[in-house]
Amino acid sequence: MSTYALTPSRSLIASDLLKLRRRRGLVAVTALLTVGAMTITYGIIELLHVASPATHGPAGGVVNLGHGAWVAAVLGAVAAAIVGSMAGAGDLESGVYRDLVVTGRSRLALYRSRLRGGLVFLLPFVAGGYTLAGLASVVFAGGHPEPGISLLVTTGLWALLQVTFYYLLAFGIACLLGSRSYTIGTLLAFRLAITPVLASISTIGIVREFVPGVALQALTPAALGNAAQQGPTIAMSTAAIAVVLIVWAVAAVVAGAWRDTRRDV
Amino acid sequence: MTTQLHEVPLDRDDMVVETRGLTKRFDDRTAVDSVDLQVPRGVAFGYLGPNGAGKTTLIRMLLGLTSASAGEMALVGLPLPRDRARALARVGAIVEEPRFHGHLTGRENLEIVAAVRGGDTYRRIGESLERVGLTARAGDRVKTYSMGMRQRLGIARCLLADPELLILDEPMNGLDPAGILEFRGFVRSFVEEGRTIVLSSHLLDEVEKTCDHVAIVDRGRVVVQGSIVELREEANPTVLVQTRDPLATAGLLSTHPAVERATAEGSTVHAVLADLAVVPELNRLLVSAGQDVLRLEPAQASLEDRFLEITTRLENAA
Repeated sequence: MSTYALTPSRSLIASDLLKLRRRRGLVAVTALLTVGAMTITYGIIELLHVASPATHGPAGGVVNLGHGAWVAAVLGAVAAAIVGSMAGAGDLESGVYRDLVVTGRSRLALYRSRLRGGLVFLLPFVAGGYTLAGLASVVFAGGHPEPGISLLVTTGLWALLQVTFYYLLAFGIACLLGSRSYTIGTLLAFRLAITPVLASISTIGIVREFVPGVALQALTPAALGNAAQQGPTIAMSTAAIAVVLIVWAVAAVVAGAWRDTRRDV
Repeated sequence: MTTQLHEVPLDRDDMVVETRGLTKRFDDRTAVDSVDLQVPRGVAFGYLGPNGAGKTTLIRMLLGLTSASAGEMALVGLPLPRDRARALARVGAIVEEPRFHGHLTGRENLEIVAAVRGGDTYRRIGESLERVGLTARAGDRVKTYSMGMRQRLGIARCLLADPELLILDEPMNGLDPAGILEFRGFVRSFVEEGRTIVLSSHLLDEVEKTCDHVAIVDRGRVVVQGSIVELREEANPTVLVQTRDPLATAGLLSTHPAVERATAEGSTVHAVLADLAVVPELNRLLVSAGQDVLRLEPAQASLEDRFLEITTRLENAA
């Protein structure tokens, strides 16, 4: 392999994955926010149903898939912020980044490897959590309508898209700021507080459509109804949604790369 | 003022590090001021200066960690920043203190750097750990390592590149005497293998004990560079004088025009002379003043003497 290759090798991505998966706290928190959250959510609903079938419906069905997808999207975004910030700024904060740069390896290759390594770490947790939600929505459907394969797949892709999008934002911002804590704080405030507030201010009109959370909500599978939604849904064309999400993600990733490759370390 | 005492008598190809007019400014402060540095191949080269003299900044420029404001530089014969990747592939470096992922083992930390360097560096992990005596602790998390062990792991990380040149920034910092001795051993063994070591330090004594060549830097400028032996030889002659009253002797000697500096250290006076030929005259001066001369002999000048001589001259010129 050439030492000046811009494309990260598999071993380089594997090394970035190693840094993340050997952090016990990170693994535990990510698992809790994804697989754990689903287990707890469906477990509680099903227990309530078993304890009192007259007042609590079964844990499965389309509506509860929507609830599960909502949990996957919201907590998945939190997991994405944590993992993305760690993948983006972990080397820098630990001081190791300098020692990697002095090897002569392209900073851009290091950046791309960290970006991919973080995704390889995060997405299996999200997929695992959503798989549990999908299985529970079928197995515990009871008298509720079961989701079809198509709905399960599109809902899963929607959840993965949300998490991937927020991961890219977190990664780019972390590289830009060089700080995990600032990134997590900024992103959680944006996702959990600012986005719902902006979405509900109708007087700002089309500006709301530039908020990525609004665009992602507009992409919610229609068959889930209101179950997977937070706040009002604003109708947007698929093209507009794509433009908003791509512009935000590309801006974050490019800004992070720009800073990362020019930073004095 | 830069005092270029020695034109290094080697071809350009034999220069492992070469800079010309290298400058780094931070706003209106100049940290590295037009440095012309020549580091010959196969030596331990000390970059010596007080804290804040710009040593780390120069190293960071050489390693591409920060950009230069002006000037040219080359590592292992390759111009920077154009051939930075090719040059650094043949260089190992520790800047300030070696940093690691504390949650990973020593071996895993090396695996990460091996993945970054690529090629056959994976094969060198075992031998590098062996070389620095960390094989038995390679499976432990780095956060359990002592400072000395981290320093050794840093050396092992450098060795993954099988480097022609090792750049070590203040490597003795935080080491206990045994660690310093061990580190000195590493440096000498690397030089014996034909590698070049550039070692920055503010510890004059340490550089003198470890290095063959030195550049002395002050306020961002290289004031002198050359081999330590040559620098010592060119230092003004020093004599050691022992009498019953060292303070009075130092005062008396200081009045002589051929004595540049006379200081009492314990029972002995160190007198730096302009010319060794005045020694009999000094002896007569002391005897005539009633001083019993118990000992009067030439001393080998240390790098410290030379350093003081140069900096005193610079201060007087300023």
